[in-house]
Amino acid sequence: MSQTETLSLIHEIESLVSDQLQVVSYKWLSRSYLISSDEAKRLLQEFVQKHEGGLEVVYALSGWLKSTHPSYHIRLVAEPKLAEAQQEFDGHCSVQVYSVQASIPKDPAVLWNAEFIQAEELFKQPPSVDNCLRDNRFCGISNSFVRRNVEGQPAASATPQIKSLAGSGPTKSNIVHQPPKNTVPISIAKVDHTSQNVVKQVNSEINGTGNTGVHDNINKPTAEKEKTLPVPTGKKKGQGDKSSSGTGGSLASFWGRPSTKPKPCSVPAENSNMISNPAEATENAQTCAHEAVDCDSGDDDNQGVILRRSSNRKRRVVFDYSDEDEDIISLASPDVPSKQSPQDSMQNDKKSLEKTTLNFDLQVEHKPLVKEEKATEKKTTEKKVFLPPREDSSIMSKCTSNGKSSTEKLQSSAPEICVNKDSIKKVSPGEPKRRKVMKTRIDEKGREVTEVVWEGEETEPKKADTDAAKKADMGAAKKADNKASTNAINSAPATKKPPATSNATGKGGSKKAVNSKDPKQGNILSFFKKV
Amino acid sequence: MLELRLVQGSLLKKVLESIKELVNDANFDCSSTGFSLQAMDSSHVALVALLLRSEGFEHYRCDRNLSMGMNLNNMAKMLKCAGNDDIITIKADDGSDTVTFMFESPTQDKISDFEMKLMDIDSEHLGIPEAEYHAIVRMPSAEFARICKDLSSIGDTVVIAVSKEGVKFSTKGDIGSANIVCRQNTTVDKPEEATVIEMNEPVALQFALRYMNSFTKATPLSSSVTISLSNELPVVVEYKIAEMGYVRFYLAPKIEEDEEETKPQV
Repeated sequence: MSQTETLSLIHEIESLVSDQLQVVSYKWLSRSYLISSDEAKRLLQEFVQKHEGGLEVVYALSGWLKSTHPSYHIRLVAEPKLAEAQQEFDGHCSVQVYSVQASIPKDPAVLWNAEFIQAEELFKQPPSVDNCLRDNRFCGISNSFVRRNVEGQPAASATPQIKSLAGSGPTKSNIVHQPPKNTVPISIAKVDHTSQNVVKQVNSEINGTGNTGVHDNINKPTAEKEKTLPVPTGKKKGQGDKSSSGTGGSLASFWGRPSTKPKPCSVPAENSNMISNPAEATENAQTCAHEAVDCDSGDDDNQGVILRRSSNRKRRVVFDYSDEDEDIISLASPDVPSKQSPQDSMQNDKKSLEKTTLNFDLQVEHKPLVKEEKATEKKTTEKKVFLPPREDSSIMSKCTSNGKSSTEKLQSSAPEICVNKDSIKKVSPGEPKRRKVMKTRIDEKGREVTEVVWEGEETEPKKADTDAAKKADMGAAKKADNKASTNAINSAPATKKPPATSNATGKGGSKKAVNSKDPKQGNILSFFKKV
Repeated sequence: MLELRLVQGSLLKKVLESIKELVNDANFDCSSTGFSLQAMDSSHVALVALLLRSEGFEHYRCDRNLSMGMNLNNMAKMLKCAGNDDIITIKADDGSDTVTFMFESPTQDKISDFEMKLMDIDSEHLGIPEAEYHAIVRMPSAEFARICKDLSSIGDTVVIAVSKEGVKFSTKGDIGSANIVCRQNTTVDKPEEATVIEMNEPVALQFALRYMNSFTKATPLSSSVTISLSNELPVVVEYKIAEMGYVRFYLAPKIEEDEEETKPQV
């Protein structure tokens, strides 16, 4: 074969192996390009020498084994194990390139899949067509008396020869009858269409009846094809899914990290968060279910009673229909359930009024004034305050039937908002200390408004970034509040507040750390110099 | 005059999606060899290097070297207006302060022009030396993304340790710790599914997962990712862009405490 031909063939092999990821075996090569098996092996050898690395080579070793019962053995070995396998042979063994491929397939059947399909196609060609398998052109064994009959009718004269060939078969047969992986040494007939049934080849060399041999196997190759083809696509799909979920999910995890997570405070942000985050959404559903259960049990003691979660989570939820902030009880520490002292409700009223001013920094200063006003108002409003919860209980039940969270009822704000907040909070275990609080206040027009508010956010619901400082302010404001109120407050509020502030500062701290003010984080500029 | 025509427009979209989280503004450098970008994140901890070679474009004309400062978020916004099958052409005139993105639908029945204002950016171009890495790990990119994502739910940092055993990703957090070990695996049907570990000497380095997670935004660009590690160098996370180039992310390791202690003594 000329040099140019060799080169072009090597290019072909390269594109087959690296682009189409095909297993290129010498048999396949020989039949595809109508070259002899020897030539094909030589080409593959040359190809392997040129392209070391980036591809996997399977060698065919043949020789006598070292065992006590010497047997002729042919074995396919991947490149890394070549030396090891050679040790098992007695003396010299022949080492030839069997196939090259981009990677060693998991299923060894893939190794001869390509050539099997090829053989099948060759035999499917109409009988009048001559091809390399039918005319036995590259076979090392040939019989000049045997002629191919294009019509496919076995010539009478051929039969004796078949027998004689078959007779010589047995001597070879121990060589040839190898597990399907093994190749036939070149010196022996290379005409094996299907490296699996070698004896039949002998017939097929002689006339077209070889077809039957292949037909026996036809089911197999197609089945094989079906098996092997879907696998890659399936995998691809799986991979695609993975990658897409990987990218989609990584964002979620990014926000989901307790330390980096900014507190979701603005309502729209939370909604979008929930939508974009399926993982959280499912958890929502779960937590909602929990809530629904809780709700059932809690409906009885509707007012001012704390619902207790069965779970160990330290979240606290306060259903406080008299809407007092100050009176929040941690679920972790079962506290006095009924805290509906008139004083508390007074405080609430004050608070809620303050809220309407929306100016929280000023809250503390305003408070004394407000309180006095309210002290008078309170008693008048108090009764009203109690009523709405009852009405709301219908809303509550609606909520639960929606599968959404349960116990909150809002007159003025959308229930879903609360639900989202609620569930989002539950999702992050790192933030156990959030509180949900019912608040009733009188708005400017004199209407009663009951809302569920997340404590800690209520002061600045619009600001997405609640930093530690602000929370601390808030906590301080509340404390001031407490003190200012003439009535003694339960110990509960006092204990609660510290967690709220510490929580906030903790978050602030970790945020900073993530902002790479971490002293341990190296700087890329210390590695690469400016040009 | 600059005119780059990219038939596979979705590629550019993916590139932008992969780097815009890390870098806000950056200079795109166009030369006769290709379209490239190098930029650091605002905290100077990570660096991204992008190269799209001129051969990957259907048509590439760049009369003189040109550096175009762009806000990557704005650029991504414009590229989002291109369909996934659209052909994207980037055009700019010498001395102009705008760049034009032209999107052609595959059937040529819709052509959109988006003109974006350029900006002046002080570029700090860094020289990245060629280096021998102690360990190079190639693995499926989706697998890597999954690992980073999973670990970031446990802790803030990941220790990537390459040994004879394989590559180990480990983290620790308030709720516990996690270790993921990937072994070399080349017996797969497709080479991109293989996990290949080349190791000259064992390496263990600690990195902020936050950055790793933003690197994995490039996962759609390539089915495999190459992670190169050396003890005294930033890690390189490389996503090859088929037949065109690459996106490489460099991330400075976290300095381990005992190292800090030993250094002063020396």
